[in-house]
Order: sequence, then C-alpha cells, then structure tokens
Amino acid sequence: MTTQALEVKNASAGAASPGIRLTEPVAKLIDTSTCIGCKACEVACQEWNDLPAETTVNLGTYQTLPQMTPHFWNLIRFIEVEMNGQLHWLMRKDQCMHCSDPGCLKACPAPGAIVQYQNGIVDFQQENCIGCGYCIAGCPFNVPKLSGQTRKIYKCTLCVDRVSVGLEPACIKACPTNCLSFGTKDALLLKAQKRVDQLKSSGFEAAGIYDPQGVGGTGVVTVLAYADRPEAYGLPANPTIPMSVVLWKQPLKWIGNLAILGGIVGAFLHYLRYGPKHVPEGEKSKQAAGGGPA
Amino acid sequence: MSEQRILPGGRVLRYTLRERILHWLAGLSYIYLLLSGLAFWTPWMWWLAIFLGGGPVAREVHPWMGLIFTFAVVYMYVMWAPDMRITDQDREWRNFIGEYVRNEEEQERDPHKAIRTYQQFAPVGRFNYGQKYLFWVMFWGGIALFVTGMILWFSEYIPWSLRFLRLMSVILHPIAFLVTLAGFIVHVYMGTAVVRGGFTSVIRGEVSVPWARFHHRLWLEKVEAEQAAADNNTMAARK
Amino acid sequence: MTNGWTDIQNADVILAMGGNPAENHPVGFRFVMEAKRNRGAKLVSVDPRFNRTSAVADSFTQIRAGTDIAFLAGLINYCFTHNRIQEEYVRLFTNATFIVHPQYEFKDDAGVFSGWDEATRKYDKSTWNYDIGPDGFAKVDPAMQDPRCVFQMMKHFYARYTPEMVSNICGCSVESFNRAADIITSTYPPDRVGTIMYALGWTHHSFSVQLIHAAAMLQLLLGNIGCAGGGLNALRGHSNIQGGTDCGMAYHNLPGYIAIPKQDQPDLKSFYATLLPKPLRPGVMNFTQNYDRFFVSQMKAYYGLNATNDNEFGYSWHPRLPNGAAPGTYENWSWAYIFDHMSNGMMEGLFSFGMNPVNNGPHSRKAIGALKKLKYLVVAENFETETASFWKPEIIALDEEGTSTADVRTEVFLLPASNFAEKDGSFVNSARWFAWKYKALDPPGDAKTDQEIIARIFLKVRDLYAKEGGKSPEPIRSLNWWYTNPFQPSLDEVAREINGWALGEVKDEKDPKTVVLKAGDQLGKFLDARADGTTLSGNWLYIGSYAAAGNLAQRRVNADPSGMKRFENWGYNWPANRRIMYNRCSADAKGQPWDPKRPVIRWNGEKWVGDVPDYKPDSPPEAGMGAFIMLPEGVARLFVPGQFAEGPFSEFYEPTESPVANVLHPRTSANPGVKPFKGKWDLLGKPDEFPIVATTYRLTEHFHYWTKNNAYSVQLQPEFFVEISEELAREKDLQSGDMVRITSARGSIQGKAMITKRIKPMQVAGKTVHQIGFPIHWGFLGRGKQTGGMANIVTPTIVDPNSFAPEYKGFLVKLEKV
Repeated sequence: MTTQALEVKNASAGAASPGIRLTEPVAKLIDTSTCIGCKACEVACQEWNDLPAETTVNLGTYQTLPQMTPHFWNLIRFIEVEMNGQLHWLMRKDQCMHCSDPGCLKACPAPGAIVQYQNGIVDFQQENCIGCGYCIAGCPFNVPKLSGQTRKIYKCTLCVDRVSVGLEPACIKACPTNCLSFGTKDALLLKAQKRVDQLKSSGFEAAGIYDPQGVGGTGVVTVLAYADRPEAYGLPANPTIPMSVVLWKQPLKWIGNLAILGGIVGAFLHYLRYGPKHVPEGEKSKQAAGGGPA
Repeated sequence: MSEQRILPGGRVLRYTLRERILHWLAGLSYIYLLLSGLAFWTPWMWWLAIFLGGGPVAREVHPWMGLIFTFAVVYMYVMWAPDMRITDQDREWRNFIGEYVRNEEEQERDPHKAIRTYQQFAPVGRFNYGQKYLFWVMFWGGIALFVTGMILWFSEYIPWSLRFLRLMSVILHPIAFLVTLAGFIVHVYMGTAVVRGGFTSVIRGEVSVPWARFHHRLWLEKVEAEQAAADNNTMAARK
Repeated sequence: MTNGWTDIQNADVILAMGGNPAENHPVGFRFVMEAKRNRGAKLVSVDPRFNRTSAVADSFTQIRAGTDIAFLAGLINYCFTHNRIQEEYVRLFTNATFIVHPQYEFKDDAGVFSGWDEATRKYDKSTWNYDIGPDGFAKVDPAMQDPRCVFQMMKHFYARYTPEMVSNICGCSVESFNRAADIITSTYPPDRVGTIMYALGWTHHSFSVQLIHAAAMLQLLLGNIGCAGGGLNALRGHSNIQGGTDCGMAYHNLPGYIAIPKQDQPDLKSFYATLLPKPLRPGVMNFTQNYDRFFVSQMKAYYGLNATNDNEFGYSWHPRLPNGAAPGTYENWSWAYIFDHMSNGMMEGLFSFGMNPVNNGPHSRKAIGALKKLKYLVVAENFETETASFWKPEIIALDEEGTSTADVRTEVFLLPASNFAEKDGSFVNSARWFAWKYKALDPPGDAKTDQEIIARIFLKVRDLYAKEGGKSPEPIRSLNWWYTNPFQPSLDEVAREINGWALGEVKDEKDPKTVVLKAGDQLGKFLDARADGTTLSGNWLYIGSYAAAGNLAQRRVNADPSGMKRFENWGYNWPANRRIMYNRCSADAKGQPWDPKRPVIRWNGEKWVGDVPDYKPDSPPEAGMGAFIMLPEGVARLFVPGQFAEGPFSEFYEPTESPVANVLHPRTSANPGVKPFKGKWDLLGKPDEFPIVATTYRLTEHFHYWTKNNAYSVQLQPEFFVEISEELAREKDLQSGDMVRITSARGSIQGKAMITKRIKPMQVAGKTVHQIGFPIHWGFLGRGKQTGGMANIVTPTIVDPNSFAPEYKGFLVKLEKV
C-alpha cells in the first residue's frame, strides 16, 4: 500500500473541507471461514492504540466481552449454532464497518467530530466530539462506544495512523491465518469473490460477500459461508441508517428551520401591524359593565 | 391566600415571589436549553455552543439544565394546575381570538347589542386561554423532552435490543423542542412587546388595577372580593 | 515433526487429532489454511470437543477422551478392508515383508501379547522379534503373502476394529467414523498425500507411545511418510521444547538422543555394546553405529582436555543411571518419578528453572506434599510461581497432611530470571528449525539470564570443591568451562560448542593423508566427528548449524527456490538442514518422485537432488539401501520388536480411569504395561463414584501458567471454567456462569460452568457417557481471579510406561453445582 493522503471527503455537521486528490477506497477483508477466533487482532488493536486491558468475567462463552467498549474496538464474536443439522461455531471479528454512507456521521451534531477520509476510513476526532452519543443512534452495527471517563466516543480507526504511512492495520498484521487482509476495496472484492467461489465448490452453496448496500457498502468486506443468514453471525441482514435519524436530519430539520424563522418573522410583522395592547385610559373610572354572559 | 393581594397605590399582586422564582427558573433554563439545543440542532447555530463554553461544555450542561427545567415545570404544574384548567369561558374567549390578536378588545362588534365588546363578552380570569394553552404546551413538551432527553443522556446504557427507544428519542426530542419553541416565541413576544406590563409583573409581581381589570377582570374581581371578606373578618376579630 | 510447518501447505488431507492446532498453534495453523485455500485440502478434526480447529474443519468426529488408538486402529482396518494401501511403498519402506518370531502371538480374549506372565504382571519380550535366519538377518517375504509376515499379521490383528467396534468404544457414530475414514484414507494413491498433526492430546495418555505408533502405521500404509505434505507431525507445546528435548532434557537421554550410560555399564566397551546395534538386513546404513563418535565428542565438550583416551574420555565421571530394584531395570527419574521420590524423602534439593511443577505436574497436591520434604528449593523465574510459594497458606492447605505454613522447613530461594525476550539465544520449533533470536529489552531489576545464574552457581560450587574437597570432585573440577566470560557464557559461544570443532587435525578416514579440518575449525557434517577425541561437539544433531559459514540459525532468507515451501536458507533445520525426514520414501524404487508435482528428492543418475537426502547421497536406488537409515532394519517398523512396554503392535487399552471395561478384552482393560505408583497420594477413582470422563487442555489466550500475570491475556480469558454439554447441564440443573465443583479421587476444584453445544454425551459400550473439559491456566498467583482453579489438582499420577508422560487426558471425575 502506498502512502495514503489523508484528505477529508465528508465530515459531521457539514464541516468538510473537500480534498481534491483521487484516493482509492481502502478496505479490510474478513474471511470468517478461516477465522479461528484466536483473538490476536483483539490484543493487537489494544496494543497499537495503547488501550488498557478490560476487567472481564467469564460469561459462559469464549467471547472476551459481550460487546465492544471504549477500550476494546475489535471483538471476536463466538456463536454456536446448528444449521442443516450440523453444529457450527461461528467466529466473526466485529468492529467498525467503515460504511460508505456512515450513519454515525449523519447523526453527529458536532462539526468535524466524525470525518470520512477520501480513502473511505471513517474516523472520530475526539477533540471535536461533544460526547452526545447521537452516533450510537445513527450506527446500525452497534459500534461507537462512549467513555464514561472522558465523555468522548471511541471506535476502530482502521488504524488510520498506520494506513496513512503505508502500513496495514494492526489487526491484519497480527492475524495468523491470513483470514484478514487489507487493500483497495476493488482488489479485496475480487479476492473475496475468489474465496466465495472456492467455498461454493466445497459445498457451501450459500457462501457470499457481506458488503451491505443499505449503507452504501462497507469498508469491511466479510466473507460468510452462510451469506443467506448474516444474522447467524450477529450481522444485520439489511442494515441502513435508522429511519428516525434520516427523518430528523432531513425533512424535520428543514421544516423546523422554516418554522423557527416563520415564528420570528411572524411576531415581527404582527408588531409592525398591530403593535402593543393599550390599557384604555378610562379604565379607572369605568365600572364593570355587566359581568359575563351568565 | 396568605399574601396581601391588594397593595397600596392602586396596585395588585399578580405573582407571588415563589411563582416569580419558578417562572424564571423555567425561563432561564429554557433559554439555556434553547441556545445549546440550537447549537446541536444545526451547524449554522454551532457558534452558540462556542459562546456557551464550547461544544463539550454545552453538551455536559444541557441535560442538567434540562433537569432544572423539568423540576420548574413540574413545580409550576403543582402550583398552577387548578388555575390552568380550560373552562367554558375560555372556549367562548376562543371565538374572539381574532379580536385579541388584532388588539380589538374594545372595538364594538355590533353596536346594537348590549354586550358589545370582547371585554364584556369574555372576561378573563387569572390566565387567559392562550396563557393556559402555553402552559400545557410547555408542560407536556417538557415531559416529552425530559423522557427522551434522559434516554439520549444515557444512550450508551440502552441495550441493543431496546434501541428503538433511542431511535424514537432521536426524533421525538427535536419535535418536542420545536413545539415548545413555538410556544416560547409567542410567549416572549406577547409578554414583552404586546402586553406591556406583563414583563414587569413577572419581575416585581405587581400590576396596576386598571391593567388587571383590562386583562384579567374576573381575577381582579375575585381578588377584591377576597380582600373585602378578609378585611371584614379582621374588623370582626378586632371587635 | 517429520516434516515442517511450511510443508503442511503441500497436503491434500490434514488430520488434526490429539491436538487442537488452531487453538494452540495458531501461527503454524496458517499453513493449514493455505492448504485449504490454495489446494482445496480437506481438514479432518477428531477430538473429544468441537474445538477451534473443528470450527474450520471439513469434517468433525467427536470421540471419547482416551480412545484414539481404537479410532486409528479402525482407520488401519479401513485401509485393509477398502484396499486403501500404497502397496509398493509399504513393500519398499516398511517391515511389512519381515517374518515375525515363530512364538509371537496376540491373545485376543486375554488382550495380551505372547510372553505375559499373569502372576508377576510382566512381559518376557523375547518373542517380540523377527524370525532371524542363520545369516543373522531377519527373514522376509517380499510378496507379503506369508501368514507370518508383518503385513498379514497386522491385517489380522486390526480386523477386530470394525466401524461398529470403533463406534462402540469411541462413542462416535458409524457414519461419522466412515465419513472421516473416507477422507483420511483417500491419500493412499501415490499422487495424494495426507498429514497428521498431533500434540499433547496424544502424548498425555497411559498408552501415548503406542498411540503415535498407530498413527505412524496408518501413515506408512497410506504412503505418506517422507513425502511433501505428509508425515507425522508432533506440534510441540512450547516455543523451545524441541530444543530442550534435543539437548538432553529427558533423564534417560543425553543430548542428541544418545541413551544415558547405566550403572551396569562400568566402561566404554560395555556402554558401546548396547549403544551400537547390529544391522538386521544386508546393505542397510544403520547410521546409529556412529554414535561412538558423537558420544566421545560430547565428552570432549564436557571435559575438554581432561577427557583423554586413557581415562576413556572421562566416562567414569559421567552420571550413570543406577540399577533399579528388579534385575535388568534402572531407576526412573522422569517427572512423575522425581516427585514420587521426593515425597518418599529421597531428595534433598530441587532446582526448578522455567518450570512450575505445582501447576504443571500431575496431582498438584502430591507435588506440594513432596516439595515440603525438601531441604532446599531453588526457583529461577520471571514471576512468583505457586511452586516457589508452595508454603503460602492457601497453597499448602492442599497438602493432605494438614501442614501449615509454620511447619514447612524447606528453604526456598526465588531467583529473578530474565525471560525469552530479555536475552538473545535460540528457539528450535516443532519443525526442528533452529532459529536465532535477539534480545528485545533489558531484564528488570536484579533479574539475570539463566546461563548467568547457572554459571555463578557452578563457579561457586567449583570453588568449594577446590577449597574443601568432597566426595566426588572430578566431574566438577574437570568440567570444560572455556567461555570468554565465565560468569555469563555467551550463547553464541554455546551455539558454537553445540556444533563443535576440531581439537586437532582431522584426517579423511579413507585417505589419512588428507586433512579435512584443521585444529579449531568448526565441524561441517556428522561424520567429521571422531571417536578418538580429536573433535568436540555438544550435540551431534546440530553439527552443521555453526560451521565455517557461521551461525546458520541467524539466516533469514525467505526465498523458496524449489517452490516446495522448504525455505532451505531460513535458519537451520537439524539434521543436516534436512527439511523433510525419511525423504527417501518420497521417491519410488527407481528414485523418481511418487508425485512428480511434489518432488522432495530424486535420483539424477549420480546423486540424490532436491531436499538434503535422508540417505547416503550417492547410493543409487537399485543398491536398495533401506530408507530408514537410523534403524538396523533399514525400513520403518510397523511391527516394533522389543522396544515398547506393551507390545509390538498398537492395541487399544482403556485409560486407567475409565467409565467402562474394555469391550475387546475386559480382563485386560487398561494398559498392562502401566506401573501405578503405590503411595498414599496415588488414588484412582471408580466409575460408580466418578462417572464423568474429563480432559484438560490449553487455550489460545494463555501460555501455560505464565500469562496469568499478563493483563491482556487475563482479560481475554479471565477465569477458570468447565465446558459442559447442554444435556449434562440439564441433568445437573446448571446455567452458564454457575459455579461447579469437579472432584476426582485426588482432589477437587471449582470453576464457572460453560454450557455448550460443542460437547455431546455419547453411547459407549451400551452406556451413556458424559464428558467435560477444562483448561489448565489458572492457579493461586497472578492477576484476575486466581482462586485455586488449578486443573492438575484432579489429574492422576498414572504415566505412560515408555515416555512417562502423565495421563492428563481421559480420567474420571464427578460434577456438582456449588
């Protein structure tokens, strides 16, 4: 991978300063059919990013934590499931999917707190983050995690610091079985398709690529042996940016803006036309002229 | 009513000190919520967050201010709920909303009829229909903002299986905000620009008797009657 | 490993059994994935649990822990019944053609081989041999038709292991066995190759050596040994355990697997008489006849100039294994025996370096009880271990005699030692790759390297001998301590010494006028070593690793000119930088590869080319020198004469603690060769009280008892747990996360229940048997929840009679909800 120019393509709350360089989108390929759940990626992620170890308890599974945390951006999910009369122990590396159309970025109110680089990496800029947690609502994959300590949001950066100097992300470097790989998205889609064909020829007829179009495709391309059942791997079948976030950020925002403006302008016009109420001069002398209708 | 309502110099006590404090607790906290909320609402207004100490500070203070606002609104409910009940009289008043808006309270509708003016037809108690309506908008809006705000405040603790709560709040919080904002704009405009004396009444609590008679005649009459009864009692006691 | 990690990429079928490579060798496992991705290789997993390897396998069969021999025997029978045998290979390279001793037999109903004496429970092994002709060589039938030839004997022997029998013993379904067998035995054609990856799941049994014997037989029948992508591959459990074993870690071997001298071998001559075997077939290389060179060179490394021809190179100074109580036996100082001797008060002191016996030996309570009998204990470690702190109240409380901390009289020295990253040196991996490593950081505080600790102790002891004399000062005072810095021998110098050098001029053995090596030259090949004291070599296996070209372990050339994933210029691969052992078997009788697409070596008319041949490099194929140059037969042993404790063929015996009697021969249910310890600690449970089969294992997330001090590892697997089937959980009313107690005849431990679909109850001999499993990585000290969930508190002291490995897998327990 050559050195990536880090130009911003898109940023939260309209804070983008669009770059002009042509950068190919990058991606990670996760081949769940060759993942052995060794968790090397989990620790590599923590070590590269200087994240402290979590205090955990055994919850009756090999999975380190029930979900990602502000200190834990890369979690292998272990799922025991019986399909077609056969036991499967599915292991999937869960992390930020780096959506092309990121729901977190859409939901974020803080200018520049979430940026999407030209190469497709979606990254949180903690110095701009206000800790409101709207990105949590915007994400269809349950990824961003708010730290109680710093009141900031954290998640996988796709090792943007490594990628920007031409290195592969730490998790990929650590993967012993090569079930993870890194490259341009186009190249990885070809590679993924090759693996899918292989899986199909060895009996996994439902094998396929998980690159959900509901979020414009993702920067994490996943090969599933049972692509017809992404839920079995803990993946949403058709992830999209939640409807309420879309409604809020599009129609409601403009209706609201108009309404606020209308209210202020209306009040102003009213004053111009009618002005204030005056308590009549003679009020003092006047007696109540006869009560109500009663 | 323990406080003396009829004051010397032709003044009437419209709002007690407690009412005034609560009003401003609600009002000022709402203004803060509005300013910080506007910053989160649109990047155009982001400068307001800078003005309030920066985005993180604004976001940190916003929910606490929300709690204060909720407290004030609930307290006002406890204080004013009886006064805020919509009566038949209010529904009559509603027919004259056009006159009210056009400042035509004194204008004779039909010179041939005995009851000719709005003032005569629909005398107002302590609060008019619009004020009551504002109260209920702010009360129910406040409750909605409180509930959805709490969910958004503790967003990270909502389990994935209950995420519909988070998603509902994301849309209901701004809707409730817009509704209360509409009320707020009208309220501030009316209370300062249109109904002169209203603003001072909620500062010092006093209005002139003519003001009271013009705007809240029934209330004034009630207060005067109560005062008279109280005076009689005192006299009797002295005897 | 006969082959190597990178070579697994060449396999068509990979059997992972008795090991969980995805779990315990995740980095090496990448080559399995490469084989799957690039060749469409099939991975077959056979294990008591559906484990991480099974998760990516093409076929999984669950078997009862400890029944692997029955499964393998079933596969051997499947080969015979389905004619899936590479016959030409078997004829050329194995002893299938040999005629066995006329009195040799196996008694089906009794379950014992000929020579068994029921009264003494001992074997007379004299009939476990070949039929030796008048010429001193074994008789053979190249057609393999003679009913007394190994091939026919073996076919008859394994005919009992029908799929139904396998199912009845192992608890797997007949269909599941047949499915696995079909894939595994599909490698019998010459152009298909399969490999077996095994680890401690095979070696931790009371019949572990026979288990590996069975696997070797299967691989030989299928023609998979010596070929690229084939072999029988032991996955070693530590980064340098291979190097440790090579360099004399086991009590009965010297470095280079030379048998240790015995008490009744008072001089070199008597020692050589057992060390150097006679050939059993004409024309075989019988390389072991060179062991005198290697032994003498090793003695020169120990004693330097003090070792002379006149004093038999210091033979009398070398420790000799004492005779045992019974005639013809020797004392046993393997792990479990050391602790048995210790608990019998036979030992005064123990140096424990890089080991944590309280946790990693069988039956921790016995180990604790034994340690307290010591006068002194020296522990060199990175961290405080349960062994160094066995006297702490919570640990000594496990001692059966109710000892308290105040009663412990043992003086304990805990010496802070640097870890692997804090010193340079080398690792020898499972593939016998000798690779140099460099120091990454300084050891903290007062921590010192192991070699410095040992050197300082040695120099002090030598001074004491010099000043005060002593019982036997010569072995100490004569030692060759030549290092530049005697207090901290440099590991580079040690590596040079292990390879060895010429002490004087070394002359060509055929042409004494030619000088092969000058004094001081590093040895370049095995036969540079001399038995006359002119060469020095610490371990003959490593001759060539540090030759004239320097330390080859430091090579980092990742080119693969052959394209066969050999990477011959990466590090150094003992022996002789040979990447695939027994590689003569990869070529047919004419010396051409069985599979032209996967050549290892081939005869080009003048010499063998390709990998470094495991053969005389210029011996033409038609000369018929045996492919197994280390053996006096010259061929691989399907039938193993006299060497093992329990018989020449591998027979299924139940684990010593078993829920059922052996269905083949209930009279001899467990391994008759096993000699249980008889101490008060050495208790065995019965299935009526302890009905559940248990097995122990490691996790990817941890390394032994070491990473419980590492916050990241502890985070990944925070506490001791027990894997329990859903069916057993229902029976015991358990939910995931409940605390459970596991009790064996030896002790009990508590842990979190992990209810899983990955273990299922099984039907064995008409009875429902439940299995549970638990990992070993917890104890009393370290981060996280170290509350004494130490798996070895419950494991038995039974050991294999050949390798003396404890039976950590397949023992009996009961399970209760806490």
